[in-house]
Amino acid sequence: MPSWIEQSAHRGLLTSRYPRVPASDAEVPTTARPPLAGPEGRAAGPGPDRCPVGAIEGVAVDQGRCIRCARCLADGFRFAGAVESSSPSRAALARPAASDAGPDPRRAPLAGLGRSLHLFLVDVGSCNACNLELLALANPLYDASRLGLFFTNSPRHADVLVIVGAPTEEMAEPLRRAYEAMPGPKAVVVLGACGISGGAFRGNPGLRAGCDELVPVDLYVPGCPPTPVQVLDGILSLAGRGRGDR
Amino acid sequence: MSRIRWREEPREQFELTPDRALAYAAPDGAFALYNDYRSRDSVLIRRPAPVLPEEVDRCWREQTEGASPRGLAPRETVEGYGTFTFPYGPISMGVPESGRFDVVTYGERVLELTPLGAYKSRRALPALAGLPVADAGLRVERLAGNFAASHAAAFLQACESATQTPVGLRELTVRAVGQELQRIYNHVHVLARIAEAASQNVGAAQSHALAEEMLRLQGRVFGHRWLFGAFLPGGPARRLEPPDRPHVAAALHARAEEFDELWELFLDSRTFIDRIQSTCPVPRDVAVRWGAVGPTLRATGVPWDDRLRIPEPPYHDLFLALPDERDGDALARLLVRVQEVRASFLLLEQMLDRWPAAGAAAEPPAPPVEPGRGIGRVEAPSGDLVYDVRVSDGRIVGVAARSPSQANWPPFAFGMRGAVFTDFHFAFESFGLVFAETDR
Ligand code: SF4
Ligand code: SF4
Repeated sequence: MPSWIEQSAHRGLLTSRYPRVPASDAEVPTTARPPLAGPEGRAAGPGPDRCPVGAIEGVAVDQGRCIRCARCLADGFRFAGAVESSSPSRAALARPAASDAGPDPRRAPLAGLGRSLHLFLVDVGSCNACNLELLALANPLYDASRLGLFFTNSPRHADVLVIVGAPTEEMAEPLRRAYEAMPGPKAVVVLGACGISGGAFRGNPGLRAGCDELVPVDLYVPGCPPTPVQVLDGILSLAGRGRGDR
Repeated sequence: MSRIRWREEPREQFELTPDRALAYAAPDGAFALYNDYRSRDSVLIRRPAPVLPEEVDRCWREQTEGASPRGLAPRETVEGYGTFTFPYGPISMGVPESGRFDVVTYGERVLELTPLGAYKSRRALPALAGLPVADAGLRVERLAGNFAASHAAAFLQACESATQTPVGLRELTVRAVGQELQRIYNHVHVLARIAEAASQNVGAAQSHALAEEMLRLQGRVFGHRWLFGAFLPGGPARRLEPPDRPHVAAALHARAEEFDELWELFLDSRTFIDRIQSTCPVPRDVAVRWGAVGPTLRATGVPWDDRLRIPEPPYHDLFLALPDERDGDALARLLVRVQEVRASFLLLEQMLDRWPAAGAAAEPPAPPVEPGRGIGRVEAPSGDLVYDVRVSDGRIVGVAARSPSQANWPPFAFGMRGAVFTDFHFAFESFGLVFAETDR
């Protein structure tokens, strides 16, 4: 009779080697990367009109609004940005990609916490995909505990508040309370277009335009939803663990 | 009002016509659920119109008229010495979504449990009015990300039916492949969550790993891990063209074997099976009376599945066996899911084998602009999903929807009566409930 042990041994090591080696295509499918204007640096067609969420202005894509629908591919845009596309500044996400010296230097508000971080998830109006992508970090293919990331069930034990979804009126107060219940030092990460800008639901009555209207945000991870690899990279950067020294 | 027609047999007797749907529609768009059907032991169950029983009607009324947060299941007044109401949520430990459960208890035993929604209502359905169909589709699939394929397919079906747009066999096959992949993902995910609740750590880890492999496969086939945009015109789809099909078939074969091995090991774990056996039972009459759908309904011995209701392409000539379970408890629901995972692997294999040739189906022509109203209905992983869409001039006029989670909250609440509090996670996960589907 086979046992769990035999079966596990038979399946072997499944865990991703990210971030020691770059993410594979299997881990980050094409459309999870940020769209950028084509090599000529311009849109070939009616890009701004075609974008269903108004994320394109000229040839600049506001990565915080983009829901990765891939429609702008027809206008010469390419899903070619860096896999690691999180940013501590909302303005930097909206900046034309080619216009200046690259992404903001990352801040690391939790650099003092060493090698272990506890995450607390708050859903303020998501479609459930962002939640599941965050929780996927615990599965053996990512095994975030190897990097010192753990999920906690209480804001009292949390170092990082992870917010997903478009902030509704009803969740504003519970979110603020969860934030206040956390001990310092603490950091807030927003996952997904919904939480950053309202995403696909931007402008609906009763929704805030972004989580940063409710609590101070330390890091934005764009995507719809961001893949586990992108979430992992963002959260590690909070502790000052840049690529290379993890 | 005509649905997409493939064969000329009359099927009016089964048709859910817009007029009937309208007559049955509760304010939020709850629809007639089933026509007459026979249960496994051949009892004819008749369901006269209007279908919604009084309690559920009242619950819908409260839901649409009452202030938020609103109850998602009928409530009774339970009183007694020492009872109190314990609100659990809206940020509730162990449930990854936001929603509240009001538990009436005097300690360990749950006398009554009422789920309350609207905390994460994005007011999305009313906001669809005025949008072009494709833009609305992008929002519809983001109502519930883990059921995106089903929502997109039902919504598109409704739009196409409203505008009388013919759809090719290849297109329908692509949608079915997406939906079956997502059904497997969701069922495996439910297995993983239940295993987690039962502290079956190795089993939970292995099931989560399998679920992740399914997400990666979806990412590879459709360009998106959750199939967002996969069926919409202009979407990111890499659509299963040769030479990708052999690769996909091989990957599916490997996943199916992994799943079988995994389930064998779960069956060997007496503690696991004991923990979910007779947990949160929903008797058949309750399931039928309160309008349960999907695995919740099928676990009570009612073989009702939308894929077999009016078999449409590509399901019309595929083999699909329905599970045979009758006990209505968490174990029966899980067994239904396990059998459905196997059935879906088989369906996928058949679809890949008979992939429609390139010439067999033209891409849909530009949608006609005539105004109309259509119903779209698919079997989502958690049950029957219905969209009712009015379209005019290529734009949405109005959308109503009845999602499986909406239908399954009342049976869940019923099953929890008399349970102990530690049953909660097993019970909750076994229904595959998603707040996002209710809080739209
Ligand atoms: S991929 Fe992003 S930028 Fe391009 S059209 Fe879609 S939402 Fe707009
Ligand atoms: S950002 Fe996208 S995936 Fe995340 S909650 Fe919003 S719609 Fe869902």
